[in-house]
Amino acid sequence: MVALALWEVAARLGNPLLYVPPSAALPALRDVLALRSYPDLLEHLWLTAREIAAAYALAVAGGVGVGFVLGGQRVLGRAWAPILAALYAVPAVVWYPSLMLFFGLDAASKIAFGFLLGFFPITLAVLAGIRQVNPQLITVARSFGASRLSVFVKVLLPGMLFTLVGGLRTGLALAVIGVIVGEILGSKAGVGSLINHAYGLARTADYVALVLVTLVLIVLSDVLASSIERRARRWTT
Amino acid sequence: MSAAALIRIEGVAKRFETASGAVEALRDVSLTVREGEFCTIIGPSGCGKSTLLGMVGGLVSPDAGRVVIGGAPVSGPDPRRVATVFQDPGLFPWRTALENVAFGLELQGVPRARRRQVASDLLGPLGLRGFAEKYPRELSGGMRQRVAIGRALAIDARILLMDEPFGALDEQTRTLMGEWLLDIWRRMGKTVIFVTHSLGEALALSSRVVVMTARPGRIKSVLELPMPYPRAMESPDLVTLRAKLWSEIRDESLRAMSES
Repeated sequence: MVALALWEVAARLGNPLLYVPPSAALPALRDVLALRSYPDLLEHLWLTAREIAAAYALAVAGGVGVGFVLGGQRVLGRAWAPILAALYAVPAVVWYPSLMLFFGLDAASKIAFGFLLGFFPITLAVLAGIRQVNPQLITVARSFGASRLSVFVKVLLPGMLFTLVGGLRTGLALAVIGVIVGEILGSKAGVGSLINHAYGLARTADYVALVLVTLVLIVLSDVLASSIERRARRWTT
Repeated sequence: MSAAALIRIEGVAKRFETASGAVEALRDVSLTVREGEFCTIIGPSGCGKSTLLGMVGGLVSPDAGRVVIGGAPVSGPDPRRVATVFQDPGLFPWRTALENVAFGLELQGVPRARRRQVASDLLGPLGLRGFAEKYPRELSGGMRQRVAIGRALAIDARILLMDEPFGALDEQTRTLMGEWLLDIWRRMGKTVIFVTHSLGEALALSSRVVVMTARPGRIKSVLELPMPYPRAMESPDLVTLRAKLWSEIRDESLRAMSES
């Protein structure tokens, strides 16, 4: 309550259009949630959620796949790791215009951008995780007759679990950012396009309300990620 | 003497390519180990003892020669016949002591309840009763190595390979672990090949000691130790044997030192 009051006072001292006070933001939020401001809000949210799911699924498949292929071959992995790290360090948004050219203004370019952002931390986490596993454990497992699959499931995965899960969570957060930023930068649908729309029309109260809705979406995705994490832990023991 | 040959190492050789050129680890090594024997391999650092053990365990393939166990040539790890204990116990940190002991049985597809029973029954003789649910980080070095030995015993292979298993332990723990291992060996009737640097360990435990030369590793001599257990280190025949063994090893250790 104190924080809300401070926010109200501060906003009124400044420009209420720029610093939206709660007295404006809360009714706007109510109208947004009641589907009065944007009757098709749910469709937009649903589209964004599907884009995120697709981007993340691709990022996990690609990141885990590439990570294990490179990590399984010492020389190749060592050669590629710095290149991957360098690509990861480039502000990914520089790729976005070309993604729009390739994939158009619809969902595909958002999925591609979310994938691009999520892919690198997952790949790098897999590479780091593989290096983390004590090679002696693999020797021991082999001496007990472990197949390649058993070594993978019983030694490699549990040995790198924390690093891998960390990478998967970072990857999800970045896939979410990628999709929403992609929508804001140019699209006709999705919650990011609504944010851009409200911002463009200087409907700042709606804008704040939409950002709050988006925040909830991101928190939900993190809840999902931590449930994956718990499952993974149960699975390896 | 009367027992049958179980392991025949026939003229094995191994070279490794390293950054500083090829290293000849083993050259034409032949050795027969009899059923029920406690055979110790001793030699200077880098003489290929571990490589030789790795060949018996199927983890290292020889460049020449072969290893035959019970009539069948070794072509890879075979946990039904051979179990290995390493100097680094290599316990899985995410598994409890009990789950570590049960690891080999799990790989063999033994049902969960059964393998937990087998592992649990082993914890008593391992001196780990009450530590079943502890994780490796909660155990002392000696306990960790006993868990690793338990993991090897659980799969009930006839042959136990031990690669400097007590090398990282302090002297007292090491001596106690040796006494404990002797007891296990005599009760379970395993055939043991044991690699060590320690003269004392070799004399206290072995029914036979094989001395290896400095690199490239070859067999320098073989000593039979028919004395009964437990052995008093100060008894005249052991003192004599110790002097003999030391003179065999001394030259090789000197050579290894001057080369490295």
